[in-house]
Amino acid sequence: MQETFWQKRLRDVAAVLVVGIFMFPLFWWALTSFKPTSAIFDKDGIVWFNFKPTLVNYQVTMLGKSRAELAIESGNTFGVGGASSYDSRQTIIDSLIVAVGATALTVLLAVLASYALSRMRFYGRQAYLNWILSQRFMPPIAIIVPVVFMFHYMSLLDTRLGLIIVDTLINLPIAVLLMKSFYDDVPVDVDEAAMIDGASRLQIFWRVVLPMVKGGVAATAVLCFIFSWTEFLLSLFLTNSIRTLPVKITTFVTSTGSEWGFIAALGTTAVIPSFIFILLVQKQLVRGLTLGSLKE
Amino acid sequence: MASVTINSVRKSYGGFEVLHGIDLSIANGEFVVLLGPSGCGKSTLLRMIAGLEPITSGQISIGNVVVNELHPKDRNIAMVFQNYALYAHLSVFDNMAFSMQLKKVPKEEIRRKVEWAASILNLTPYLDRQPRQLSGGQRQRVAMGRAIVRDPSVFLFDEPLSNLDAKLRVQMRTEIKELHHKLSTTTVYVTHDQIEAMTMADTIVVLRDGHIEQIGKPLDIYDRPANLFVAEFIGSPSMNFLSGEVAAEAGRLVVRANGVSLPLPPGANVTAGQVVKYGIRPEHLRPDTGGAGIPAKVSVVEPTGPEIHIYADIGGQEICAITQDRLELAPDDAISLVPALDRIRLFDPTTGKVINGPNEAPPRTLMRA
Repeated sequence: MQETFWQKRLRDVAAVLVVGIFMFPLFWWALTSFKPTSAIFDKDGIVWFNFKPTLVNYQVTMLGKSRAELAIESGNTFGVGGASSYDSRQTIIDSLIVAVGATALTVLLAVLASYALSRMRFYGRQAYLNWILSQRFMPPIAIIVPVVFMFHYMSLLDTRLGLIIVDTLINLPIAVLLMKSFYDDVPVDVDEAAMIDGASRLQIFWRVVLPMVKGGVAATAVLCFIFSWTEFLLSLFLTNSIRTLPVKITTFVTSTGSEWGFIAALGTTAVIPSFIFILLVQKQLVRGLTLGSLKE
Repeated sequence: MASVTINSVRKSYGGFEVLHGIDLSIANGEFVVLLGPSGCGKSTLLRMIAGLEPITSGQISIGNVVVNELHPKDRNIAMVFQNYALYAHLSVFDNMAFSMQLKKVPKEEIRRKVEWAASILNLTPYLDRQPRQLSGGQRQRVAMGRAIVRDPSVFLFDEPLSNLDAKLRVQMRTEIKELHHKLSTTTVYVTHDQIEAMTMADTIVVLRDGHIEQIGKPLDIYDRPANLFVAEFIGSPSMNFLSGEVAAEAGRLVVRANGVSLPLPPGANVTAGQVVKYGIRPEHLRPDTGGAGIPAKVSVVEPTGPEIHIYADIGGQEICAITQDRLELAPDDAISLVPALDRIRLFDPTTGKVINGPNEAPPRTLMRA
């Protein structure tokens, strides 16, 4: 069907509108992070661009300056409150370690487990798959109490390793099921061709099948990373001194008021690592890698 | 190169038997086509030769070695799959080089062999491409290249052309035949397409429901089908079958089919009262306007170009005749059809087996080593 001029325009407008709706909160958040407190809390109206941009929020959260220091520097003591620590540098490092560690561990286990589930026929395979799926039904809160006890006895409370393990635990079922569906897309004939060509099972996996599901590995990794990066509940219960980003941000809501400027600055910063990570793997994310080995 | 011997091979999945004792002997350098409808067990048999399916009972030998327990890679076979099964992430060169790289063949030799294969298959300009940048026919040639660089003793093809369009299929058919002519490697080729089987095979093995129905040269099978199934399966449009009963008429035997008399070949091995299926191929029915043959009424006329297909009614039974004469026919026209007497096949309707005439060699049903 030939699209008319107006149909095309309408579609473009709709696309821009949808992107706009989804991007606006991010934009507003980033904008807020450059606003002075007075612009954030203007009682007379919404402040769009008529404010004097400031890096104060970033100086506090990313450079570790205390607000007292800043107040003395600028000579403006408006809004100097509580003595909480707003320095979030360690938080970002901890979050990165946990997210990268959990993603790496999940992907490593998932690519191996799901290959076996996709290719090997063994007794109870379907039951096993259903059991994996059932793990996704379980809300994380249901396991918090036992996990806290177990981690206590294993001295994993308040450790990065502990968070890595628990994030892997939560991510693994979906990662395995996802990877299995990618393996299932690669015809078994490819394995058999490689087998006839003289490859061992491990060589088939490593040299033939795994490279053909690169896109799937990337997609799985992105999902795991985003989950770990944004995971709140388990981190809250399992850590004290180590604070991942979502937990840290909640501490900015204090009894003396919410530090919206700092929240916005840290929130904006928090987008960057995920963004970089997705940029790195986005080429792999593009589907169609398995095309070419198959009939079409 | 090697011969392949299959001895009383059976295959069951659980309690369900899909191959019921296959005996087949394939000579060194022979091009054998396993032909049959889907589900007849032809692919299973091929995969058992390849070592991709375990053998339930019986024995398969390649050369003089029993391969039942050998790993596929140790059988010195090469296989081309229906969906090509190329390594999508590797270049055409690496696809073909893969088996040799695993064996740690020196780089020089790999290059030499891949280039040799590429030149045979007209793939030289594409060696650096990825499979997804190739057309269907080129991909299929890469799959063949991957097979020939290994210099196998047996080639196995599993419906390699069924994903190609009709024109390409004809072209690849010729290419595979040429390749076989050049390399003279023993080849087992699975297809459900009788034209492929007829055009390519030295020997056709017709399979149905896990049994061998007939083994023979393409034209032997076409001219002398051993039973109703083979007669019907091979040939397009397929052979006409008219049900009738042998009767004496004016001092000689004929087949009476719904009141119409069908002439029998001289010396047919039948007796009066015997119920038979009267088989005749469409091209062996000659339309005669003089009225000297079997009376028929035209129902549909289909000109195909080189010939005309005439569908007609003989005593309530539908038949097809093919002629190259430019006849002016319309539905409901009365014509008469003259069968070529020496081409008539009579079948026993209960067993489906052919009832041979005396002056004809019995069809080859089994070929033993």
